[in-house]
Amino acid sequence: MSKVLMKGNEALGEAAVRAGCVHFFGYPITPQTEVPEYLVKRLREVGGTFVQAESEVASINMVMGAAGMGVRCMTSSSSPGISLMAEGMSYIAACELPCVVINMMRAGPGLGGILPAQSDYFQATRGHGHGDYQVIVLAPSSVQEAVDLTTLAFELSEKYRNPAMVCADGMIGQMMEPVEFPEEGAATPMPENDWSLGARDGRERRIVNSLYLSPEDLHRHNLKLKAKYDEIAANETRQEIYGTDDGYDVLVVAFGTMARICKTAIDEVRAEGLRVALFRPITLNPYPFGALRDAMDAIEGDGPVLDIEMSMGQMLYDVKLAAEGSRRIEFYGTAGGVVPSPDEVAEKIRGLMQGVQ
Amino acid sequence: MGEIQIAEERCKGCGLCIDVCPRGLISFSEDLNEKGYTYVRFDGDPAQCTGCTMCATACPDQGIEVWNKAGKQTFVNTTGLTERMTHYCPGCTHGMIHRITAECLEELDLLPRAVGVAPVGCSVLAYEYFNIDMFEAAHGRAPAVATGAKRARPECIVFTYQGDGDLVSIGGNEILHAANRGEKITVIFVNNAIYGMTGGQMAPTTLAGQRTTTCPDGRDVEETGHPIRMAELLATLQTPAFVARGSSHDPKHLLKTKKLIKQAFQHQRDGTCFSFIEVLSTCPTNWGLAPQESCDWVQDHMIPQFPLGILKEPERATAEVSG
Repeated sequence: MSKVLMKGNEALGEAAVRAGCVHFFGYPITPQTEVPEYLVKRLREVGGTFVQAESEVASINMVMGAAGMGVRCMTSSSSPGISLMAEGMSYIAACELPCVVINMMRAGPGLGGILPAQSDYFQATRGHGHGDYQVIVLAPSSVQEAVDLTTLAFELSEKYRNPAMVCADGMIGQMMEPVEFPEEGAATPMPENDWSLGARDGRERRIVNSLYLSPEDLHRHNLKLKAKYDEIAANETRQEIYGTDDGYDVLVVAFGTMARICKTAIDEVRAEGLRVALFRPITLNPYPFGALRDAMDAIEGDGPVLDIEMSMGQMLYDVKLAAEGSRRIEFYGTAGGVVPSPDEVAEKIRGLMQGVQ
Repeated sequence: MGEIQIAEERCKGCGLCIDVCPRGLISFSEDLNEKGYTYVRFDGDPAQCTGCTMCATACPDQGIEVWNKAGKQTFVNTTGLTERMTHYCPGCTHGMIHRITAECLEELDLLPRAVGVAPVGCSVLAYEYFNIDMFEAAHGRAPAVATGAKRARPECIVFTYQGDGDLVSIGGNEILHAANRGEKITVIFVNNAIYGMTGGQMAPTTLAGQRTTTCPDGRDVEETGHPIRMAELLATLQTPAFVARGSSHDPKHLLKTKKLIKQAFQHQRDGTCFSFIEVLSTCPTNWGLAPQESCDWVQDHMIPQFPLGILKEPERATAEVSG
């Protein structure tokens, strides 16, 4: 299929349809509103279900209802809306139901602003709601990758019966880029399973439930979930390493839109002869700790790591966890919807390199 | 003569069957059953029993089965419920409302494709009792879960079973909008004017002056407002809907309520509309009343505040309240 020029939010909607998702429940919020606006028309064409819910609280619970009936389903929102979904995410994860949640992050805290940010990293990777549960979190840095990761999110959520989040920022949702989609109708249908509810046809009844009144039973349930999260961590980490060909003295770590800006900045400073590489986590959860540590260990000499985020330093904690004190970690961040330019990032790198060389 | 069989081990000793037997043929045993309850027994003249089924209808615990004079079984426990004993307090009418809901599904042959959504509150464990596929939803979110479930599988009969804290308080938004969208689901709303599970706090439906642990001097409407009449509120919505209120406090009202629930499921089966059945119920434990006193309290105090009847039907365009 040839490439088409599409806005990120609309491309995400199309990617979901191509992935075989025909059930959408959501609520308008900037900067993701084009997702429901696109899907209301598109789902009509493919005979799907579109519900504009009364709130994000309702959206995520509608997703729980649909997911429990064994259909491919999703919701999308942006930061304050994801906060409202926290309760439902905990229940869905506890009930081990597959679904996809898209978060087009905007600046917070509170009502914050509508411009791009990465300040929901903690929220996405540390659990939105209560209890020991985790969500698979994928962070695209282009519209094409948003399409690819949406496809992957459905695959992983069904493979592990766990919510998967595509955690992008408003920049990805709002910009237009040429994208290529998987073939329409090529998605595999939801396989038969032994957990979803519906017409029974003589089989034993089933229950979708997260209540365990016996502490031992709940303990066992948590151990089962933990084993699953460990399996996901062992098998599903993804990352990109850029600019390592001839060795490097500094390693920049960034994800999503910020990583893309860093790439341009790195091209700029490498042209000046500075040896700088980029490590970009694609899965924010599971976090690619091992690969990042390897990349840190490959820094020549005692050069530092520079973590750059559109937040006040959230992924920074994972970068430090990966380093385990083995290396100096520097941080540069912006908030409020202020997106650093490649020149600003290049300048930061140059400043850091002065100390290195 | 008719005949009844009492499952002693299921009896919680609420005594509601004793009060409803027109011939006074049932009484308390002097012994305790395995669970420690003073169970009931048939100790009248067998020739006096007409097999009227009043006792079985009033039993919240599926503890009585009945045969008529011709030897035909006239009260059979529904297959729509599991055999598991409920955790409900003695005399709580949840058990009866579970039963009539399950009976309606069974009589309409809808059990194989019924999917229920349990709430948070006393009936949180409803998924253990309804013998069908069940969700257990977050507090107040059952109508949203049911929306997703029904939209995903329209061929299923989807219902929620919710109490007053769940539906009127924390879930006020979800029920309002599910009703207004006209989701093709059925909502069974059990109103006992108090929070049961957490130990007797004020509910949005607590009556003016009614004492609870969080309004120990009685609900002061100046400070906390009047009880919310949920059925009336939903009946103001334009979207076609079947909205009705029944009660569970005696066999006559319970059977009338069963008819309403049956109509509601028929509407869903026929793809007609959203349906909402409010059922007045008791909370002997937290009201501090004996089971039969609780039933009398529903008649004397709740029904004047929450009038019974059909408030809205698909074929009737305007809301209408009937006593």
